[in-house]
Amino acid sequence: MDLRTQRGTEGFWPRLIWQGRIFGAYFGQFVKMRLAYRMDFLVDTLAVSFSMAIQLTVLSVLFSKIRALDGWSFEQVLFIYGFSLLPLGLFNLISVNFYGFSDKYIIGGKFDRVLLRPVNTLVQVMFESFNVSGLNEIILGTAVMIYAGMKLNFAFGVGDFLALLVLVPSAALVYTGVFLAITSVSFWHEDRMGLAPPVYNIIRFSRYPLTIYSLPVRVFLTFVLPFAWVAFYPATWFIGGGQLPLVALLTVPVGVVVFSGAVWMWHRGAANYASTGS
Amino acid sequence: MSEALLQVRGLTRDYRLIKKREGVSGGLIDLVRPRRELLRAVDDVSFEIPAGEMVGYIGANGAGKSTTLKMLTGILTPTSGEVTVGGLVPWRERVQYTRHIGAVFGQRTQLWWDLAVVESFRLLQKIYEVDEQTYQRQMGIFDDLLDIGDYLHQPVRKLSLGQRMRCDLAAALLHRPRVLFLDEPTIGLDVVAKENVRQFLREIRERDGVTIILTTHDIGDIEQLCRRVIIIDKGRVHFDGELEDLRRRVGQKVRLTVDLRDTATSAELAATTGDLPVRWTSGEGRRHQAEFNRSEVPGAEVIKRLVNGAHVLDLSLAEQPIEEVVRDIYRQQGRPTP
Ligand SMILES: Nc1ncnc2c1ncn2[C@@H]1O[C@H](COP(=O)(O)OP(=O)(O)O)[C@@H](O)[C@H]1O
Ligand SMILES: [Mg+2]
Repeated sequence: MDLRTQRGTEGFWPRLIWQGRIFGAYFGQFVKMRLAYRMDFLVDTLAVSFSMAIQLTVLSVLFSKIRALDGWSFEQVLFIYGFSLLPLGLFNLISVNFYGFSDKYIIGGKFDRVLLRPVNTLVQVMFESFNVSGLNEIILGTAVMIYAGMKLNFAFGVGDFLALLVLVPSAALVYTGVFLAITSVSFWHEDRMGLAPPVYNIIRFSRYPLTIYSLPVRVFLTFVLPFAWVAFYPATWFIGGGQLPLVALLTVPVGVVVFSGAVWMWHRGAANYASTGS
Repeated sequence: MSEALLQVRGLTRDYRLIKKREGVSGGLIDLVRPRRELLRAVDDVSFEIPAGEMVGYIGANGAGKSTTLKMLTGILTPTSGEVTVGGLVPWRERVQYTRHIGAVFGQRTQLWWDLAVVESFRLLQKIYEVDEQTYQRQMGIFDDLLDIGDYLHQPVRKLSLGQRMRCDLAAALLHRPRVLFLDEPTIGLDVVAKENVRQFLREIRERDGVTIILTTHDIGDIEQLCRRVIIIDKGRVHFDGELEDLRRRVGQKVRLTVDLRDTATSAELAATTGDLPVRWTSGEGRRHQAEFNRSEVPGAEVIKRLVNGAHVLDLSLAEQPIEEVVRDIYRQQGRPTP
């Protein structure tokens, strides 16, 4: 018997469509599961809305005192903040399984099951659970951006819309890439505490104009932990700032490179997976 | 010449262990210079299995059974050695390979904990691209043989261990795999559930001709299911052949436990069985234990003598546990078989 001749769906596009269907199936199950615990869902949504409201209040109180920040107007800063929520929301939507990956999948041995199924391991882990609060961030971010854009008398053209469609996913790739790389480390080191929380805290630095920071911090956020690419650089496409609009487009290759590198690490890690005894 | 479906050559796997030092200062030293040690869990294992065979892979706890199965299913990458199944290398062509196999790993479920059983099956149907007709036919078979129809709509977490094992078996076979790997499929099950699982495996094998490799601790599984057994100990193969042949080598040892109405010495009991080849191993007072070999003396004969010669309140016979079979083989050979 030759199993090599009996293949499943082949070719790049058919496989992509197939993976899309798997995604749909996982998502459908997830929604059903959440609806079964209707109370949880309600509480979650309320909690997230509440925390968003607080953040916005803090921001507006802050800026009712300060009108400008290192040459950036309140509206520009608000725009960057709003933009930053879009890729963050997209990232949060699919990345919940990165948190506690080491505990659940590696120490708990759940990764065995993932490896037994004929679907890319990363696709399975990302799609096995979703974080709906990501949707709230996307909605809120959009609202903040529209408000700030109107204040800035920003003429939003077709080109800008296309740029948004490209820049937001690219910025989300940067987030996902960074946390995927961190998660992959747990294939080598079963680390319960993890690097993720401190790195997650650094995200907040990315919500403000990069130019307010000192040079070392700027270099760090641009080249080392590239969070400058999740909000500031891409947002400058819309709010300007010298030569920056062209730099904004670099978000795309940065996202692709960071994410590809992380995927490579992930697969190297998976080959190093040692499972658990018994 | 037909090639065996599953070919394993020189399969070896080391685990890297970090040995912790004691105390606070030890913990600090560990941080700087961890003491690493290699544990060879599977050591140069080779065998071939033709399509359609059902093979028992047995050995004591920690012998390396699960590790072997994890390499055969593509979960673990071996340290060295080769495996091909139908021409595919499990860990290298994992996505394509896993379409053709099914696996159940003991106590750990493959199903989604919070989903109803049937929802898990529907997801698996999409993942394995099983068409609706095949899906319905397979579900019909599972309901016939495993009676899973009654709890299809329960979430997996609410099932008993026996019910869950049946669902796991069904899930592993939904896509009609060519090879089925089972790691301790009857562990923790009661007698009835064990029998159910065994019956199901026999039928599914006859029906689909699926090749089955199962690990177990339970000699009953082997006796009822497998003609061929592979015994491993400390990661090495010690026996590979027919179960009959194994029996001939180590015999069929049984352990007898007797409870008496009055106290007696071992010598007194030994006198009742007289010249029969029965070895009284331990006991004092009212409870005694003996060993004998079924191939040398029928159990009924031993019991008859005992009941005639002493006031027996109760007695029980137990098969020799697999650990001891393995130890006996070890002792007989004194060295591993090539
Ligand atoms: N993930 C692991 N990491 C380290 N050691 C392991 C791991 N899995 C198994 N072992 C060790 O390898 C040996 C073989 O284990 P295993 O293959 O589970 O045996 P069995 O299934 O026959 O009981 C044991 O000594 C066990 O402690
Ligand atoms: Mg085991």
